[in-house]
Amino acid sequence: MDTEKIRNFSIIAHIDHGKSTIADRLIEYTGTLSKREMADQVLDNMDLERERGITIKAQTVRLDYKGKDGQMYCLNLIDTPGHVDFTYEVSRSLAACEGALLIVDAAQGVEAQTLANVYMALEHDLEIIPVINKIDLPSADPDRVKQEIEDVIGLDASEAILASAKTGQGIEDILDAIVERIPAPSGKADKPLSALIFDSYFDSYKGAIAHIRIMDGVLKKGMGLKMMATGKVFEATEIGCFRPQTTELQEMGPGSVGYLAGSLKQVRDVRVGDTVTLSEGGVSEPLPGYRGVTPMVYCGLYPVDSADYDNLKDALEKLQLNDAALVFEPETSIALGFGYRCGFLGLLHMDVIQERLEREYNLRLITTAPSVIYHVYKTDGEMVKVDNPSDLPDPTTIDHIEEPFVKATVIVPKDFVGAVMEISQNKRGEFKSMDYLDVNRVMIIYHIPLSEIIYDYFDKLKSSTRGYASLDYELADYQPAKLVKLDILMNGEAVDALSTIVHVDNAASRGRSLAAKLKTIIPQQMFEIPIQAAIGNKIIARENVRALRKDVLAKCYGGDISRKRKLLEKQKEGKKRMKAVGRVEVPQEAFMAILNID
Amino acid sequence: MTIIKLVQIMTTDFGVYIHIPFCKQKCFYCDFPSFAGREKYIDEYLKSLHRELELAAKKIGAGDQLVPCTIYIGGGTPSHLTVSQLERLLEGIHDHIQVKTVTEFTIEVNPCSVDEEKLRLMRDKGINRISMGVQSFDDGCLKRIGRLHTGDMAAERVKLAREAGFTNISLDLMYGLPGQTLDMLQASLDTAAELGVQHISLYGLQLEEGTVLAKQQAMEKLRLPSEEDTEAMYDYLVDFLPAHGFQRYEISNYALPGFASRHNSLYWQDVPYIGLGSGAHSYWQGNRYENPVDIGDYIQAIAEDKFLHIVEETVSDKDHMEEFCFLGLRMTQGIDKEQFRLRFNKDINEVFGDGIKEMMTKGLLQEKDGALSLTPMGMKYGNMVFGAFIID
Repeated sequence: MDTEKIRNFSIIAHIDHGKSTIADRLIEYTGTLSKREMADQVLDNMDLERERGITIKAQTVRLDYKGKDGQMYCLNLIDTPGHVDFTYEVSRSLAACEGALLIVDAAQGVEAQTLANVYMALEHDLEIIPVINKIDLPSADPDRVKQEIEDVIGLDASEAILASAKTGQGIEDILDAIVERIPAPSGKADKPLSALIFDSYFDSYKGAIAHIRIMDGVLKKGMGLKMMATGKVFEATEIGCFRPQTTELQEMGPGSVGYLAGSLKQVRDVRVGDTVTLSEGGVSEPLPGYRGVTPMVYCGLYPVDSADYDNLKDALEKLQLNDAALVFEPETSIALGFGYRCGFLGLLHMDVIQERLEREYNLRLITTAPSVIYHVYKTDGEMVKVDNPSDLPDPTTIDHIEEPFVKATVIVPKDFVGAVMEISQNKRGEFKSMDYLDVNRVMIIYHIPLSEIIYDYFDKLKSSTRGYASLDYELADYQPAKLVKLDILMNGEAVDALSTIVHVDNAASRGRSLAAKLKTIIPQQMFEIPIQAAIGNKIIARENVRALRKDVLAKCYGGDISRKRKLLEKQKEGKKRMKAVGRVEVPQEAFMAILNID
Repeated sequence: MTIIKLVQIMTTDFGVYIHIPFCKQKCFYCDFPSFAGREKYIDEYLKSLHRELELAAKKIGAGDQLVPCTIYIGGGTPSHLTVSQLERLLEGIHDHIQVKTVTEFTIEVNPCSVDEEKLRLMRDKGINRISMGVQSFDDGCLKRIGRLHTGDMAAERVKLAREAGFTNISLDLMYGLPGQTLDMLQASLDTAAELGVQHISLYGLQLEEGTVLAKQQAMEKLRLPSEEDTEAMYDYLVDFLPAHGFQRYEISNYALPGFASRHNSLYWQDVPYIGLGSGAHSYWQGNRYENPVDIGDYIQAIAEDKFLHIVEETVSDKDHMEEFCFLGLRMTQGIDKEQFRLRFNKDINEVFGDGIKEMMTKGLLQEKDGALSLTPMGMKYGNMVFGAFIID
């Protein structure tokens, strides 16, 4: 393929602004798939993705399109994950492109996540084509949205394409704009091979497969290759492109986008952002921007039935094959027994993994409350990273603790500014700036602890702004904070899995709320269960779950056994979600209670 | 506690339950299929019952007659029928059931509607056991649960039954009633013991969806005794009754020696039963059936000659093992491990070992003479134990 005829592009959009449906229409219009072959939203092909309406795993597809000049062009759509957890993956996908479609909902306008991704695209010098989608909606206001794109992002929106993925309006205009406005790749065929890995997946027959973009040189089947970050040497056993199913090719020139398989056993060998070059005589410098995977959030995963421990391990290993961002190692809890400490890119990532484990691997799990990574500086000068509150060293040995802070960008209608400020202030946020995007909408930036974000910041934000707030955040820095460990004692014994690290100013109220919340979650049992919250040796709150006095079905009408059975089955179903901690049966939600107190 | 070994029930034995869904007034706690103000349907209903008896006798009887070991006429309020209606009902029973070999023939009566004439008729037609719904001898308690009789009236009707020749009389009593105190329960138990009855069923009040009490509860107008007070009542009665000769043979049932109810027990002992009338349940040849609850639907179904037609569930091997255990454990004699092995060709520990162990550790289950049974504590927390016999 002639490099001049290649166009590589991504689609940038806020959740629900119609990224996947636009992609579907492009695929359909170019005849890459017939209508019959198209499952709705072909790009989001995991069940979970469809249910949640978001893209978790990016997909790539090659579209062949005859431009207005009568020439055939090869358009590579590089789809990007649509969530703040996957910012790094997005940045690598953008690095593989020369241009991007910016999809903005004609009724809702620019949102926080749109902004973050647009800025990232601009950093990569991408040509951005604004597309105003859903113009068929009665509430569509394309002129206002155009103005917003100009005012807020600073892009020229005069040539913004008006489109509707639903009716198909504007789809051809989009394809023509891609051909005409996005520059062809600039790579040279005579240079040594360098290819960027922007995604990976695991195929049970071919092993780990890299999604690549050839920057320079030519990749041929059978070549000896090397991963520059890991040093892994391998042979290109298969190369090809996505239409969207894998289609084998013999060689790929500069600017080409496709896949590369090379008997690589695990996805960890194929790191997003890494550079592929020749094993002999390759480039000396890797492409810029590679970064190892760094989990932001950790939690413990424990099987409800301890016999499932090995199954959990197998399942995590299988998921990890396809998800290099998932890290885990064995962990033991006094309360919960044997499990795994798992690291995730963010809360959504955590949710998705947990749900897949339960759904696809049929495991019943207890998840402990998520924790960020604390930097604990000890009096002897050593710094330890703590991602599990129960690992916090003895307070007497701690000099100070630092916690991760993020820059949180919130966009809301101006009437809700007060609410956003109040919530952010309560969450220990430090006000940074406030700008009017237009007469009605305001962008507010706070410097705020990540731990507060993963608690219930976004839920609070949504509920007090009637869902109008959009949030984006990125890791800013680590800063010292007065943090203490809050322990929970049940029946007189500390339950390590319920410990959390909290700011000293909130400790007492969090402890009280948590104990009160747990009282409502722990079912009555044959004995009274005291629930205490403690900081160090000091008890700061106490609640009692009163003893269940009796629990037996009495009268049975005329042999109605089915009804008795149903009651017992319901009871059993409830018990399945419980873990015995000492003598106390604790339901799964107790371990997440800290996330929704007050 | 003495454990009463019931007479070994023969494998061909079965019980017959006959439902009379009519009441003068629906009690405030009742969610059984019974209705007030439907008296005009009684005659037609009795015809359908007669027809259903005939169908039953034809399909599963021997020589056109059913030959059960027990008959139980329950409700609703069977004594709410007039003398002539009652007579037709009992004659219908005699037409299609061989009553002379029935060892226990019970009818439920309400103190309001039972009188000398009805009692004599019952006696003449072979009924040998009266189960009287009394619930309490305290007039305040009775009023608060929608009962139309007084305590004195109930006591007087018990004497009437005895005078009519009944030597096996049972009382239903309740505890944990709205406004009930331990003193009130004690007084009711004293009265019951003095009346010289042979059997007492004692049920804890349960608030069931859709009942008057549940509605009162939702409106926060219900004053129930505290959990602690209710527990104190329970603790009192489980001591009081055995001390007065009434041995506990099932979670809620107490009897003088030899007076344990065969029919009440067969539900728990995996014995088949045929339920006739609206909303009645049957357990026959490994299936559970339920008749239509609506009186009109029932009459319609019988008019179409339907018998055992609504299958609630087919009891699978798994279900059967579970039910054998969680029902059998309601009896104080518990479940015989050898019986389990004979029936299912498996050792009970092979199937339920983990649960049995857990419940024994918790002190809720015990093993004595090859039988597993609830401990006194287990009687209180029966549901937990039963739950251990449900397979995932």
